[in-house]
Amino acid sequence: MRISIENFTKTFGDTTVIDNMSLDINSGEMLALLGPSGCGKSTTLFAICGIHRMNGGRLLFGDRDVTKVSSQKRNVGVVFQNYALYPHMNVYDNIAFPLKVRKESKAEIDRKVQEIATLVHIGELLQRRPAQLSGGQQQRVALARALVRKPDILLLDEPLANLDAKLRLEMRSEIRRIQLQTGITAVLVTHDQVEAMSMCDRIAIMDEGRIVQLSSPKEMYEDPSSDFVAGFLGNPPIAFLEGSVDEAGFRLANSEVTLPVPAGITLPGPGSAMRFGIRPEFFQPDNALKVKGRISFVETQGREELYDVTLENGAVLRSIQTQGGSYRVGDEVTWGIAADRILAFGPDGDRL
Amino acid sequence: MQRSSWLGLAFLSPALIVVFLFFLVPVVLTGFFSFTNMSTATGVKGGAYVLNASGLRALTDAGLPKSTLEQIEGAGYRVDAKGLEALALDFGKPVAEEFAKLHEGEVFSKRRDVERALKDLRSNPIRKTRDRKQAADLFKRSLMNERFDSPTAFEAALEEAGIPETDRPLITEVAYTGWVWTTDNFGFLFSLDSTWQYAKNTVIYVVFTLSFNVLFGLFLAIATFYLPAGQAAAFRAIWFLPRILPPVLYIVMWRWFTWDTGFISTVLSGFGVPPRNWMLDTEFHAWTTIVLINGFVGASMGMIVFSSAIRAIPASMLYASEVDGASRLQQIWYIILPQLRWPILFITSYQTMSLLTSFEYIYLATDGGPGGATEVWALAAFHTALNNYGGNLQYGLGATYALILVVIGLLASLAYLRLFNFRNLLVKPRIEG
Repeated sequence: MRISIENFTKTFGDTTVIDNMSLDINSGEMLALLGPSGCGKSTTLFAICGIHRMNGGRLLFGDRDVTKVSSQKRNVGVVFQNYALYPHMNVYDNIAFPLKVRKESKAEIDRKVQEIATLVHIGELLQRRPAQLSGGQQQRVALARALVRKPDILLLDEPLANLDAKLRLEMRSEIRRIQLQTGITAVLVTHDQVEAMSMCDRIAIMDEGRIVQLSSPKEMYEDPSSDFVAGFLGNPPIAFLEGSVDEAGFRLANSEVTLPVPAGITLPGPGSAMRFGIRPEFFQPDNALKVKGRISFVETQGREELYDVTLENGAVLRSIQTQGGSYRVGDEVTWGIAADRILAFGPDGDRL
Repeated sequence: MQRSSWLGLAFLSPALIVVFLFFLVPVVLTGFFSFTNMSTATGVKGGAYVLNASGLRALTDAGLPKSTLEQIEGAGYRVDAKGLEALALDFGKPVAEEFAKLHEGEVFSKRRDVERALKDLRSNPIRKTRDRKQAADLFKRSLMNERFDSPTAFEAALEEAGIPETDRPLITEVAYTGWVWTTDNFGFLFSLDSTWQYAKNTVIYVVFTLSFNVLFGLFLAIATFYLPAGQAAAFRAIWFLPRILPPVLYIVMWRWFTWDTGFISTVLSGFGVPPRNWMLDTEFHAWTTIVLINGFVGASMGMIVFSSAIRAIPASMLYASEVDGASRLQQIWYIILPQLRWPILFITSYQTMSLLTSFEYIYLATDGGPGGATEVWALAAFHTALNNYGGNLQYGLGATYALILVVIGLLASLAYLRLFNFRNLLVKPRIEG
């Protein structure tokens, strides 16, 4: 089911957390609300499920206006960060709870619980208490409870934050599998760009209560609208070079070195500040646009190695390379930038 | 032992002293007193040996032979120094001296023999028969109302009076005025109808007050949980007042409220209802007042404990139940109440214990009235042992009441401990907010 948020405003006391936000989520789509903590992504999620009331704006599920509808009547399934399982009920009763409060028949409840338990692979755990489950199992139960009554919308609030690294990988694909299998419209709130990119059809990246960019993960990675988006996506993160506009193009700060500006970029007036963003995979020994620097940090990541290269003016570029380079800290290197992959940002941070 | 251990003990010692003085010693003394027949009459120190009319009745009831009883009452006529002195005073010294010379130390069994002996005196100074009878009576010796300080002196007197040896121990026992060890208190207590009435009253008191405490405390906690923070705090503060009010003041206000010239009567007189004492006019009113008085005090404690327990439920769990479709009532019934299970059990057991032994509010309000209708077990123990209208404080019997209460309390604690399974309670919860 389609979700439309129109001119949504939310205040807590005197603080305006979200101001006039609009967002459309397509039916059957999985959308990530991505952003640093305090950006308003969980507030948006709680407004969609009705736990928080909106101070302004409208919320539509399909064509139905649910702005004033209580959370009980919105038919939204929510998975909370700490799973919020009811500790005094066993897994079966936890999953059956949404059906039980709707007074469905015992047989009907049993059929649906078994069905959903099979879908999320917890058929053998139904008699256990939440305290007897591992984190991943609790996660599956929470998912089953959210899905059992066939909600119109599934909301996931940082569902993987409490899991260890390995389980996180597993549950990432599991949640996506279940979402695709049920075809439900889902909203995932996360601060982890890897989660957002790997699980979702589209990402809405938020900062200070605004949606900064809304696009598919690949588009967002390759074509960020601002330095904030570019800096938020990608691991290891993008490196920025500070500088200003010069006759020759882009001149690095505190340095005589200039770099040519990629084609198709409208430069601001000469002398104004500017930033180049260079992702680690586009700063390699073989690339053409050479810069000189000294290796200041080496991090072995197993398959790959990450190098920090400090340029003469003190700026740092990152490079990620496959194993075997055998560079060491202190080595002088002259590596190249892939000139066509340089991201240029203006003085206000917007992409040029 | 390490120094730090001594320090811990030192910090603990005031508590240990308090536990010893105000718990252990009273319990031990209660046990001790309950196996005695101590009362105001016996005193708490030793006693003397006296046979009086009621003692004689007790001996009659015990089936002592009539001959022995007669021997006690009339132990014969003994010519001793005491009798001779009285004779000298009434009839002159020479008579007494002559009588002493002839008969000192003799015992006559019948008065006629004494009269004959007096008549046979050489000078025959007492001429009238009536005077002789009077003189003879001066030598009459009886065991009745004679005070002996030690059992040996009493037994000697019995022997002198010629009382059969088999009957003597019983007579000595009855004559003793001090307290003795006995287990009769228990049998006696349960043979009294009033004891069963006290038990019934206690059950009424505990069950109704406890239900009020827990249910009303629960209601307040849940109701204030859904109120905005400021209003909730104000409500809680108001309901907490009865607990922080001095008990005497609190009860005095209740009495003003219910007196025949008090608040209720005054208001109702405006509607033509004749004034009366709304606390004491019927048993039902007395019980209602007692339950309310104690209930309002107890409910505030439940309210505080339940409130904090509800706040300890993670907010996301309540959110989850809301988006799962649970209404407020379903949320309370399925999510909040099950998680208050332990606090409810704790308050129930704690309040049972304190209600079983508490009587101060009843004592101040109705003092067990009207007509013993609200006399609970603990109050009965207090009345019997320490504050008795009749004036004979029966320490032993009162202690027996108290001891039975202690035993019931201990059994109930053990039962609750089992029910709680305290080890489970102490395990750290594995699901954290």
